[in-house]
Amino acid sequence: MELIAQERDRLLRSTTRVVGILCALVSVVGIVCSLAVPTAPLVGALLCIAVMIGALVLFGRSGAVWWTALVLAAGLGALALLLFGVDDTVRPVVASAVVPLAAGGLASPLMAQRGHPIGLALTIAAGVVTIVTVAWAGGGPLTTPVSGVVLVWVLIAVVAVWISRSIPRVARRIYSIGNAHRAERQASETEAQRRQGARLLHDTVLATLTLLAHSGVGVSEQAMREQAAEDARLLRHLRLGATPQPQQSGDYSLTRQEESPLGQTLESVKQRFGRMGLEVSWHGTGQVLLPSNVLDAFLLALGECLENVRRHAGVGEAHVTIVHDDETVRAMVTDSGVGFEIGEVSAERLGFKESVVNRLREVGGDAKLFSAPGSGTTVVLEAPR
Amino acid sequence: MSRVPEDTISRGLPGDTVQPAPRTRREARERYRGSERRQARGLPSTSTGARSLRQAAKPGASLGAGYLGLGAAVLTAIEAVAGIAFFLIRWDTLSQPWFPAAAWGLYLVAAVAVGISVLTYGERLTGPAFALICVVLACVVCLDFIGIWPEHDIVHTATASIAAGYALLPIATLRPAREVAPAIAVLGVAFIVMAVTSTPVTTDTLPGMVTLLALVVVPPSVALFVVHRFRQLVQRELDRVLVQSNVQAPQFAVGMLASDELARLDLAAEKLLDAVANGTDPLPLSDASASVAASLATELRLHLIEGRRETWLYHAITESDHLGRSVSVADPGSLAGHLSPAQRDGLLQALWQMVGDGRVSQPGVPVVSVTLGPVGSAGHPVTDETMDVPIVFESRGVPRRSLGPTAWSALERIGPYTHSVRDGVLHVVAHCVVSRHPTM
Repeated sequence: MELIAQERDRLLRSTTRVVGILCALVSVVGIVCSLAVPTAPLVGALLCIAVMIGALVLFGRSGAVWWTALVLAAGLGALALLLFGVDDTVRPVVASAVVPLAAGGLASPLMAQRGHPIGLALTIAAGVVTIVTVAWAGGGPLTTPVSGVVLVWVLIAVVAVWISRSIPRVARRIYSIGNAHRAERQASETEAQRRQGARLLHDTVLATLTLLAHSGVGVSEQAMREQAAEDARLLRHLRLGATPQPQQSGDYSLTRQEESPLGQTLESVKQRFGRMGLEVSWHGTGQVLLPSNVLDAFLLALGECLENVRRHAGVGEAHVTIVHDDETVRAMVTDSGVGFEIGEVSAERLGFKESVVNRLREVGGDAKLFSAPGSGTTVVLEAPR
Repeated sequence: MSRVPEDTISRGLPGDTVQPAPRTRREARERYRGSERRQARGLPSTSTGARSLRQAAKPGASLGAGYLGLGAAVLTAIEAVAGIAFFLIRWDTLSQPWFPAAAWGLYLVAAVAVGISVLTYGERLTGPAFALICVVLACVVCLDFIGIWPEHDIVHTATASIAAGYALLPIATLRPAREVAPAIAVLGVAFIVMAVTSTPVTTDTLPGMVTLLALVVVPPSVALFVVHRFRQLVQRELDRVLVQSNVQAPQFAVGMLASDELARLDLAAEKLLDAVANGTDPLPLSDASASVAASLATELRLHLIEGRRETWLYHAITESDHLGRSVSVADPGSLAGHLSPAQRDGLLQALWQMVGDGRVSQPGVPVVSVTLGPVGSAGHPVTDETMDVPIVFESRGVPRRSLGPTAWSALERIGPYTHSVRDGVLHVVAHCVVSRHPTM
């Protein structure tokens, strides 16, 4: 509310400035056209109007009461010089020329006096003086100049009240839109987290998609179809709002338990890579209980390492050795494939760093990579228990 | 965020609806403009999330205009009452008072008709209705001019024709400025022509004519200005309120749009996998389908990582029309996610204040740059539980002395700060003490 009040004041001040300057300039044109004002009062009045315009510009910036006072003083000064400095014969003509100044110019500060009682009082007082002066100069209270001035003062007062009233109204509507938007953001965030949370699912989907990106070459057609059908089924479940709860996701157990046994899940990883043509031999521990988020990260990292072996090592077999103590569980993924120069693989490459190292680090683990051209690759994965 | 054109994925997938081609040139232009702008900011242009954001921003054009229009109608009514009173006072002096009387009658009938239409059909004015109103107003002006012609003194006799200028006030809130401005111009020209032909131009009458012309033309022009500024204000406030919802977001969020994108990618993957499973797409896959699978995998991977990298601040800046244009953020350590809601609020408020009206002086140079971190630099201690994140603002927008107390109190909500001015650029360094283990 504080900010929109500030914006409202700025809007009112800039309206003041536009109305005031425009009306003062129109009056200048009218006065100069009339050719009725002697040089001395004319120059004085033009100077006063210039001061008034300057004060209006500064008022538009800060809205201080001093600038209101200066605008009013300069405007009244110009009015007095013009109306008292001419003969009785041409006074009504000059009076009709100063109507924009007396009406719009002097009334404009009225719009931006919210919270400035002194400025408001000064403006109203100036308005009374203006109307009396114009009535005297125009030859009576019911002449065209007087009615024009009074009309514009009333209109500007209505404008001021109306703009100040419409902004809180629109602000309430905006805030209700904002509330709806916040609710929508939370809902969409929850939805995104649910989808992102289904990372095991996405991991198998990604693996299948990657195979399909190579047209499914290298995998038996039947296995490919089964895998695709299974993944499509899981994605459908996810879309229909359920967090997939199948016993087997084709490969991984997706049940959300507080702790899951590592052994049976490892077996399903082995089966999955078996179908893709990579024989995985397990050594070491069979049953380890891990918190589900750690298990997720650990299995995903392991699957990613095996996928790298399958794709890049050029061999059909990989060895996974799993050992654990009270605090950590370690997996060593070894192959006797072509290997590579670690320094040659850019650290920016998303694959290993993002999918293996970062996943494990998120749960407090780590991964190390050892390789040399011609002598295979070893990855050590660590996760806390 | 992915810069891959979105259509590469859905191409060729069964069951996908293709967006129909634009029917008019204007439609095509607008669609192109909108999507180009969003893509330049890395936002998806066609997802449901993008649409919902656009819809949220759309009411800004008309939000509050109805009430403003009612206010303008009050002004018109006041002027009309004054004009009728003035006309009745002068009745005896006119040689043909029935023409202006007919003009006023037509004016009142039109006003009542517009009032009933607004009450019945709501606060909107269609193009044909606007054209009809313009024709009626032209008739009013003509009748008034015919009636006062014999007097050869337009300044003291014109009444209903002046009211026609004020009738444009409420219209300015309902129709775009590019339609109302020509109407104002035509009215002004009509007055000039009438004044010059009907009344002898002397130094005695000219000032009155200038005043009369101003009385007719200035109010609707000012109304256009006020409505324009009012809409700007509403748009800006709406933008600010929508962005503000990020203050409550978790440490890392995927953002409104990414969630939709992820859903869309999942659906595309599901369709592809289904097609493979039931043999619609025979194995081995064709090159086209294989490339669809490849781009799907890439985008899915990117989207799955995405949420873990980007903080609420990133989303706030990219989602906002105003801030997105003029603020750049450097937060390599994703430290913004650690800020508490109060600190986030302070940071956003300070940005809004510093951006000002958001005008970019040099293209390519952001008005405000914010840098978070690095943590642990001199004077910014780190303990086991908390750390002092240096937040550095470099503001080229609003000059220091124009920054109001709101900006400084917003900065105080972030933490203790120091500021200096170098080469017209305001530097603010805030010490933002945050928990190292945020709960959000």
